[in-house]
Amino acid sequence: MSFSRLISRWQGLALSLIGVVATVWLGFAGQLGLYIHPRYYVFTLIMAAVAVVLIVGAFAVVPASDDDGHGHADAHDHDGHAHPSTPRRRRRFWMLAGSAASLAVVAAAVATLLVVPPSTLTSSTVEQRSINSSSATLGNTSAQAASTTDDTSAYTVKNWSLLMRQGVGLDYFGGRAESITGFVTPDADDPDNVFFVARFVVTCCAVDAQPVGVAVYQPGWQSSYPVDSWVSVDGTFGADPSVLSAASIVLQPDRIAAIAQPSDPYVY
Amino acid sequence: MEANLGRVPLSRLPTSESSRRDIRAPRTPGGQRLDGQRLGGPNPSLRDLTRSEFNPAPLIGIAAVLVLLGIRWLAPPGLTAWMTDPARDFVTLSISVIIESLPFVFLGIVLSSLVQVWLPEGFLLRRLPRNPALRRLSISLLGVLLPVCECGNVPLSRGLIMSGLTVADSMTFLFAAPIINPITIITTYQAFGWNDGILVSRIVGGLLIANLVGWIFSRHPQPETLLTPGFQEACAVDAAAPRTGRVRRTFLQFSTETSAMMPALFIGAGIAGLIQVAVSRNLLVALGSNPLWSVLALMLLAFVVAICSNVDAFFILSFGSTFLPGGIVAFLVFGPMIDVKMLALLRTTFTAKTLVQVSILIAMCAATLGLAVNFVF
Repeated sequence: MSFSRLISRWQGLALSLIGVVATVWLGFAGQLGLYIHPRYYVFTLIMAAVAVVLIVGAFAVVPASDDDGHGHADAHDHDGHAHPSTPRRRRRFWMLAGSAASLAVVAAAVATLLVVPPSTLTSSTVEQRSINSSSATLGNTSAQAASTTDDTSAYTVKNWSLLMRQGVGLDYFGGRAESITGFVTPDADDPDNVFFVARFVVTCCAVDAQPVGVAVYQPGWQSSYPVDSWVSVDGTFGADPSVLSAASIVLQPDRIAAIAQPSDPYVY
Repeated sequence: MEANLGRVPLSRLPTSESSRRDIRAPRTPGGQRLDGQRLGGPNPSLRDLTRSEFNPAPLIGIAAVLVLLGIRWLAPPGLTAWMTDPARDFVTLSISVIIESLPFVFLGIVLSSLVQVWLPEGFLLRRLPRNPALRRLSISLLGVLLPVCECGNVPLSRGLIMSGLTVADSMTFLFAAPIINPITIITTYQAFGWNDGILVSRIVGGLLIANLVGWIFSRHPQPETLLTPGFQEACAVDAAAPRTGRVRRTFLQFSTETSAMMPALFIGAGIAGLIQVAVSRNLLVALGSNPLWSVLALMLLAFVVAICSNVDAFFILSFGSTFLPGGIVAFLVFGPMIDVKMLALLRTTFTAKTLVQVSILIAMCAATLGLAVNFVF
C-alpha cells in the first residue's frame, strides 16, 4: 500500500480520535465550559461516545477493506501504469504534497487540542469586540425585574452591565454596595484610571463570546492588578469621576482581591 | 452473500493483494465461502499460507488512544507562556469551533449512514414527487424532521447524493435544512417572537432561496461537474458497493467520511479562528444600524462568526436594538447557508467554482431579502 493511501485512509480516523480524546478529557476535567455552552455538554459527550464506537469498529474493519468497494485508488494506479509519463510523475508529486499537508494537519491538531493547555479568551479579544456592545435581553434580568426584587446576590457582571445598558441610572445604582467578580481589562478611553471587571457572555461557543463588564474607578490600578488576572471587587456604585471614560456609572472599590480563575469563567 | 461474490472485481486485484485478503477475510461476515473458492483456485504460496491472521489495527487504535492521552497528561501547563494574547486567542477560538462542530459532524455522518446503509435502497427517493419543482419543495421541507445544524448537513447531503439524489436537489436540501430545522425555528421564535416579521422572513426567505438555488443548478447541463473529482469517484464506488454487511459498511463509511470531513473541519476552524483575531468586530457592529449597510455588515458578520444555525438568533439578539430587522434577517438567512466553516466543509464535495457561484447567488438573494425587509415592510 502506498504511503499516500495509508495517510488518506487513516487521516479521518486519526483526526476524529484526536478530537474525541480532547473532548472527553475536557469533559472529565470540567473544562468543556472554556469552549462551549453548557447546554451542549451532554450532547457533545454522547456523540463522543458514539464516535468512539465507530472509530474502534473502523479500526477493526478498515485494514481488511483494502479493495472491496474502495478500489478506486487502485483503478487509478492501473490507469497510470498504462501511461508512465510526466502526468504520472506530476500526480505522484501532488499526492506526496497532499500527504505532507495531511500530516501537518494531524500534527497541528495534536498540538492545539492536546498539547496547548486549555485557556479562556483574553483581553485582546475584548478589544476586538468592544465591551458592553451587546446585552442579552432574555431571561429574568430585565430592568423591571431588578427594580422590583432587591435580591441581587446572584447577579453577575452580565446582569449589572445589562441594567446600565438599558438606561437604569444613578437613582437605582447610587450608593448600592455590591461584590463583583471578573477579569481585569482596561477601559479603552481612560486606561489609567478605569478598568473593567469583565466576563465573556457565550451563546454557543467561545467564537461568539461577547465581553461585558462593570467599570471600576481606581487610578493607577495597573501596578497592582495585571490585565487578564481575576479579581473580586467589593465597592459602591456611583457617578464616574473620570472625564475621559464613556462609562457613566462606576464601582468605587473598597476592597479588590486577586482570585484564581473560576472553573466557569464565562457567563450565559 | 452470493451477491457479494459476484461484485468483487477479482480481475482487478493483483494476486498478492487478493490472497492477503483471503487470509484475513474470515473476519468479515459471510466472507468464508468466497475465500474457500478463491483459495481453491490458483495454488496459494507458502508465504500466504503461513501469514498470520492476526490483525494489529485494533491494538494500534488502543495504543493511539493511550499515546494521545499521554500527550495530554504530560503537556506542561506553562507551555504557552511565550505566546502573545492574539495567538492564544486564535488557538482558543479554533479549538472552540472544533469542539462545538465535531458532535454535529459525527451526527451528520451517522444519519448519512442511516440513509445509505440502513434504510432500504431508494427508501427516501422513491417517495418524492416526480415533478422537479414539487420534489425540490418537499426536499427543502425534509429538514423539519432533522434537528441537525449546517455542519451536520454536509455529510448527510453527501450521503443523499451517493444514494442517488441529484446534485441540484441535494443543494436544495443542504441550504434549506439548517433554517427549517425545528430547533432553529423554536430558538428564532424564542428570540424574536413575531416581531418585525423576522421569523416568517427567515423561514420563507430561506425556503425560497434554497429552491431557487436548486432550480438554477438543475438547469446545469453536466451536474456531475459541479462535484469535486474525488467525490465523483466516491459516488461511483458507492454505487458499485455490495449491499451486504451493514455494520461493516457503516464502519467503512465512517472512515471514508471522516477522511473527507475532518481535515476540512480542522482547516476551516483554523481559518475561522484566524479571521476572528484579524477582523475587528467593532466596525461590523457599528454599521449595523444603517438601513443599507446593516444588511451587508451583518452578512459579513455571519460569514465571519460561522455560528451554528440552532442558536444564531440568540447571538444576534444579544446585540439588542442596535441592528435593523432587515440586517438581522439577512444574518439569519445567509449565515446558515454560507460561512467560512461551511465553505471549508462544502469544498470536500463541490468544486471551488461551484461554491463561488452558489455563494454569490445566495449572498445576492439574502441581501435583497434584507433590504426588502428594511425598506419595504
